[in-house]
Amino acid sequence: MRSGIFTSGTRTTRWVAAGAAMALAGLLAGCGSGGGGADGGTITAYVYGDDAVKVQQAAVDSFNKTSDVKVKLVSVPGTDYVNKLRSSMGSPSAPDVFFNWGGGSIKPYVDSKDLVDLTSTVKKDATLKDGFLPSVMTAGSLDGKIYGVPMRGMQPVMLFYNKTLFAEHKLQVPRTWEDLQKAITTFKAAGITPFALGGSDKWPELMWMEYLLDRIGGPEVFQRIQNGDTDGWGDPAVLRTAQTVRELIDDGAFGKNFHSVDYGNGGAPTLLNKGKAAMHLMGSWEYSTQLGKAPEFARNDLGWTAFPTVAGGVGDPANVVGNPTNYWSVNARTKHKDTAIAFLRTMASKTYAQALVDNGDIPTTSDAASMLSTSPNPEFANDQYQLVQKAPSFTLSWDQALEARYATPLLTEISKLFAGTTTPEKFVEAMKAAE
Amino acid sequence: MPLHTPAKRHGDGRAAVGNVGRPPVGWAVPGILFFAVFAIVPLAIAVYLSFCDWDGLDSPTLTGLDNWTRLFKDSEFGQAAWLSLLLTTISWAFQTPVALLLGVWAAGRQRSRAVLSAIFFIPLLLSTTAIAMLFHALLDPNFGVIKEIGPWIGIDPNVMGSSTGALLVVAFVGGWQFMPFHTLIYQGGARQIPEVLYQAASIDGAGMVRQFFHITLPQLRHTMTTSSVLMIVGSLTYFDTVLIMTKGGPGTDTTILPYLMYRTGFQSYDLGYAAAIATALVVVATSLSLILVRFSGFGSMRSTREGM
Amino acid sequence: MSTDTRPAAPRHTSPVVPPRPGPSRRRRRLGNPLAGLGSLVWLVLVLVPLYTLVSASLMRQDEALDGDPLALPTDPTFDNYDTVLNSGFLTLLANTAIVAVATVALVLVLCVPVAYVAVRTRSRLSSLAFRTFLLGVAIPAQAVIVPLYLLIGRMGLYDTLYAIILPTAAFSMPVAVLVLSGTMRDVSEEMYEAMSLDGASPFRMLWQLAVPLSKAGISTVAIFSALQAWNGFLFPLILTQSEENRVLTLGLFTFMTQFGVNIPAVLAAIVLSVVPIFAVYLVARRALVNGLMGVGGK
Repeated sequence: MRSGIFTSGTRTTRWVAAGAAMALAGLLAGCGSGGGGADGGTITAYVYGDDAVKVQQAAVDSFNKTSDVKVKLVSVPGTDYVNKLRSSMGSPSAPDVFFNWGGGSIKPYVDSKDLVDLTSTVKKDATLKDGFLPSVMTAGSLDGKIYGVPMRGMQPVMLFYNKTLFAEHKLQVPRTWEDLQKAITTFKAAGITPFALGGSDKWPELMWMEYLLDRIGGPEVFQRIQNGDTDGWGDPAVLRTAQTVRELIDDGAFGKNFHSVDYGNGGAPTLLNKGKAAMHLMGSWEYSTQLGKAPEFARNDLGWTAFPTVAGGVGDPANVVGNPTNYWSVNARTKHKDTAIAFLRTMASKTYAQALVDNGDIPTTSDAASMLSTSPNPEFANDQYQLVQKAPSFTLSWDQALEARYATPLLTEISKLFAGTTTPEKFVEAMKAAE
Repeated sequence: MPLHTPAKRHGDGRAAVGNVGRPPVGWAVPGILFFAVFAIVPLAIAVYLSFCDWDGLDSPTLTGLDNWTRLFKDSEFGQAAWLSLLLTTISWAFQTPVALLLGVWAAGRQRSRAVLSAIFFIPLLLSTTAIAMLFHALLDPNFGVIKEIGPWIGIDPNVMGSSTGALLVVAFVGGWQFMPFHTLIYQGGARQIPEVLYQAASIDGAGMVRQFFHITLPQLRHTMTTSSVLMIVGSLTYFDTVLIMTKGGPGTDTTILPYLMYRTGFQSYDLGYAAAIATALVVVATSLSLILVRFSGFGSMRSTREGM
Repeated sequence: MSTDTRPAAPRHTSPVVPPRPGPSRRRRRLGNPLAGLGSLVWLVLVLVPLYTLVSASLMRQDEALDGDPLALPTDPTFDNYDTVLNSGFLTLLANTAIVAVATVALVLVLCVPVAYVAVRTRSRLSSLAFRTFLLGVAIPAQAVIVPLYLLIGRMGLYDTLYAIILPTAAFSMPVAVLVLSGTMRDVSEEMYEAMSLDGASPFRMLWQLAVPLSKAGISTVAIFSALQAWNGFLFPLILTQSEENRVLTLGLFTFMTQFGVNIPAVLAAIVLSVVPIFAVYLVARRALVNGLMGVGGK
């Protein structure tokens, strides 16, 4: 039996022929767009692609006006950033300068000697040495060596809430665990989800773990884990933390469908600004996210506070978790190390700090405090600055503090804990056993 | 190429006819080489890497069977393998009957069927990414269509948040996309069934249902194998949909093998172990399709014409 | 139903068995009630998402979030399309077109000779090659992505369109070889013999006999591999990086994070991504449909 496909007629032929012709053209065009990268006069800088990129772009533009070697800023979409950076660092088209979170996020690159040790450069250079808050400079270093220069605002995790909802239900902003419980009960009864949570993205769940563990057991517990002792997961505080998470979930604190809510595509912030959820534990960038999505709400109804105490916990309630800031690090294989460092120096400039402030960020430069009054929202800026300044400890987000090969399984185990497919006990066992 | 031919062209008799005009085997070399470089060699490297520890930055170091012993002890791998198998089975069981019925139905030549077929084709025009994003938006428990429609067709709006629901959604979305493709394959197959067979059957007084089971189905044997192999390989390598719609969650309840491999390789950068998972995936996919091919005789080097 | 709607020319039927109006009418009823009903259900399942896709893409963000998602947009706007078009959409489209066309060309140039050799010679090498390709159908792209990433990096092709084209072509080859050898095998030996008696070279036989008679298979392969390129996500995701080398699928994925809960903009991006291929579909529907039918029809 002959197949019916013999009958396709001349139109197909033409189609195929045209296709073949275009293919050749395409291959030629492909040549043009390939090959890019190291053509003498440019260095490439990878930056985490979000709303703040425009600040870095402006810095790059003004740097390029005076520099012979130009900087080319590549904005990598947020969710892909870590993967993309890793993939390209292993390839010939690696960036010369790149955005990172310090700590474990750069450990593999340090181990494989891919990073420029900036310690001596910084020590000799007054602009870099005194330009930034010492605590933030320290947070970016590894084994006492400096590999990064702060380049963005501080990003502590804070508890955001919908002021109108709290007023309507005559509730106080939660400072203690009892306040929190009361808020949960009240909102649940009113059919409002107490906490928005983008569970589909996994890392928003991590923030709960970070704060709960800090409040229950203090920052030392995670410090031990970060230093490479997986037995640290066996600390009773970790189990308490995991159990508390389960209690919150069983209590309906996050509603029923948080597993399928994203942060990345804006689901969780929208729940908060639409009044469908009352609170949202999130990094300080939530403020600018809300400003972008619902400006009205951000200006009038968005409240923020520190994470409350947890009953029986030993952690100082002034402690903060989150990202102290982000850093630029320099690829050891760059052909233009001097240009890269010159570019890094501009990060300490008043102009750059002011640009950050104008964008709603809180710079980590030593003279930042005086600029905050010009911030689009001085109140939020000051509160955030105070929060960080007064914090005895600033724990770096676990997924950045740990290397990817530990952080990814950690995120997976946490998402299983939140999904209820593992128990707090099994969670602890799994983390202790992580290779 | 004309240089090759003159030598034996004028030879005598049948032997010459048998050989003359046969193309030099060398013609196949570029194709084979290309396939080797971009498929076979990488596969070989994957097998090699599965015996190594490699973080993607330094050079791989041989660690013997470490990854493989870990693989067999790893409960996550076990779960992923089970989920892959489940997804493949569900996808096959969902797509085959529907595509078969739609395909045979569409093989008829009424105008109405042609119009409907044209509409059915549309999902195939959307890329997998687009489809996953579309359904992700539709199924958002707070802002999607599912919130309105779900309750009156008996679907929990939080379908993506439940373990079974998420897996079924992934299977459905795959079906939604590839149904037109498999429908077309069956439609093409059904149109090749000789009319004589039906003619004879109806003379014998066989009814519609009997004709379907005694003529249509057996005649579509090869079609079914082709479609099934493509479906099975397709569902075993499902990736985009999972990445965009569920990220393997809730928990790890939609973490199928390809996604586990991606997570291990490109999020944990445990590339050696990822290669072991990949190798296991190839073994499973290849053996499944081999079994299917053996079982049905598809792919033997003969025309479908034989055996009719 | 009784009016004979069969097209005048029996385009799809076999040239061997001529169409017989009588039995075909009976056959046409085959599976009718069940499949007819099923097809209507399927129609709803296909149309509802597509309808929502288009209508919500015309809404303002608020309306899409709050309103009844099945309602028509009260105040249709093309702003979302503007947003998408101003986000580098045309580059994505151009890149995708280049990748698709180059992939198709590469697959055809490489696979036609392979299939021809597989069909026309009986050497052990050719049957080995054929079997390798047969097995290749079952090699998932995921399995080789790690080594490919390594290989592409070593070749200096990381983050170029070649990094997408070459592996995509390679992974379309097994099905291409199967389909092509299927159609070429149907070219009768007598025709080759006739040509060889005329003193035709193997190349002429391929070019003037096998290729023209395998047009159907060739268009199948072209469409199939174009679809692979069009759909490809993993290769672009892992093997490219920068904006100028981004293809549509990856671009859409980026839009999803970039536009966030601006669902209308995300949907508008999806609609725009379909427009070009939909145009192709309108122009060449028959070729597309027949081509894909050929995957199963051998």
